[in-house]
Amino acid sequence: MLDMKVDLEHLSRLANLELTEQEKELLPGQMEKIIDWVGQLSSLQTPGEEKYSPVDFSLRLEDDLVQVSLPQSEVLSLAPEKAGDFIKVPRVLPEK
Amino acid sequence: MKYIELGLTEAVDLVRKSQVKAEELVASFISHVEVVDREIGAYLTTVFDRALSQAREVDGKKHKGRLAGAVVAIKDNIVTRGIRTTCGSRILENFIPPYEATVVERLKAEDAIIIGKTNLDEFAMGSSTENSAFFPTRNPWDLDRVPGGSSGGSAAAVAALEAMAALGSDTGGSVRQPAAFCGIVGLKPTYGRVSRYGLIAFASSLDQIGPMARSVKDCALITSVIAGFDPRDSTSAELPVPDYLSELESPGRPAKIAFLGESSLQGLNPEVAENYRQVQQIVSGLCSEITFLDFPSWEMALPCYYIIAPSEASSNLARYDGVRYGFRAPAAELAEMYLKTRTAGFGSEVKRRILLGTFALSSGYYEAYYARAARARQAITAELKAALEKVDFILTPATPEPAFKLGEIQDPIAMYLQDYFTVAASLAGIPGISIPCGLTREGLPLGLQVLARPFSESELFKFAFLLENNLKFKNNMYGIKARGRRKNEN
Repeated sequence: MLDMKVDLEHLSRLANLELTEQEKELLPGQMEKIIDWVGQLSSLQTPGEEKYSPVDFSLRLEDDLVQVSLPQSEVLSLAPEKAGDFIKVPRVLPEK
Repeated sequence: MKYIELGLTEAVDLVRKSQVKAEELVASFISHVEVVDREIGAYLTTVFDRALSQAREVDGKKHKGRLAGAVVAIKDNIVTRGIRTTCGSRILENFIPPYEATVVERLKAEDAIIIGKTNLDEFAMGSSTENSAFFPTRNPWDLDRVPGGSSGGSAAAVAALEAMAALGSDTGGSVRQPAAFCGIVGLKPTYGRVSRYGLIAFASSLDQIGPMARSVKDCALITSVIAGFDPRDSTSAELPVPDYLSELESPGRPAKIAFLGESSLQGLNPEVAENYRQVQQIVSGLCSEITFLDFPSWEMALPCYYIIAPSEASSNLARYDGVRYGFRAPAAELAEMYLKTRTAGFGSEVKRRILLGTFALSSGYYEAYYARAARARQAITAELKAALEKVDFILTPATPEPAFKLGEIQDPIAMYLQDYFTVAASLAGIPGISIPCGLTREGLPLGLQVLARPFSESELFKFAFLLENNLKFKNNMYGIKARGRRKNEN
């Protein structure tokens, strides 16, 4: 029904993942089985269109107040690479 | 009696009366952990020096908190300020959080002492702790077996007397299943009862932090401390938190309970089924009314969960891109860096679930998978809540089988089936507790799950306490001690 090999390539692109050689071997079969298995759901007759909400109490909205956040230096110290007060990343646009 | 064998409630009592020093308690745990954790592998990180200085501080206080001297382990997907928090993943291997989870803040404010961070399946995805990127944890009752998962490190630490109690997190059964495998008590509170601020997100509509300890009492005390509204988690409920511990002793009316009907037990491990029937005998004398119920929608609970949870995970885990924190793979261009970082940083099970979630949410499949699962979730919830209007508690086995051997389950779906009895409560957001209820002939612990109405933890603890007293599962058979005795018998 689904060509999982093609699909997996597309999905891994969407998910920003590359598959190792071993995963390329194993994953298509596994994913097909899992998707088949969760597909059982299609036999369940669910009344109406009602969708689940994890809480049934009304959510509280926060006032839009300026609050103290984490110190910049501490947060920056977590960055894998930085330049001055900035987080540094590799070039965004490909070289021409 | 050795300090490490003291229950948390007893130990706290002694420390608060200044009869025992917190420092002595911590020191005895440290020397025990140093010996046994080489075998068990419950801890990813230990913070002995911090724990000792925290203990000295507690000893010096005139007014000691409700958890003074409690030696507690924290699952490593709960962030601890200044203490490495890996989530069992290479992608966060060297992550030192700049902030503290609300639950940890609350434990410390009551003078609990954090001794270390426990192992887990990477991003809490798994049922055996074998998916940890670092090493597997072993079951203290039998080192060839898994402790369950994903809170396997927390369960093993408590069972092996490496901590008085621990925090775990439960998304589809990750507190209740390892508690059952390791012969301890574990609670998944009602969704919204405990703040998730600082819990590294896996599936946000399901995740809930819960206590794991050697008795119902100890779990009740910890829950009183960690529960309650938190402005930093808008899904936490603004409801008062009872003193669960003191309510345990107050008299209650006999409960109406439901067991699963025989048709729900088809295909169950025979020893689990036999134990479940024995429990029915014991429990029937303690209740005012007993019924047998089947939950037709439960057949759909696992497939539903394995669409919803991976979908939320695929979205939650999009944040790990190597830019702001965590692991970054070297690359010449940004897009390539994202790809290489995530590829090298995530293990196979995490990738499988991200891809599964990406699939369920992608255009063309969303209606057939995610939307259908969301409606199924509504149906499962309605069925459970309707049953809980007629009875106070539903009792089920906690797991379909006792702890299995390391490496025994290779097929992903076979591993997913471990959650058979636990996921329905996760999907419905209701509380569930797992308490030890017997041993197999081989001497492996079995767990009983009790489900209750939302925000009825007080009644749930009280009933679990009654069961605990009647099931008479002996604390002194736990972990290392039981193993030692079995070795001597041989």
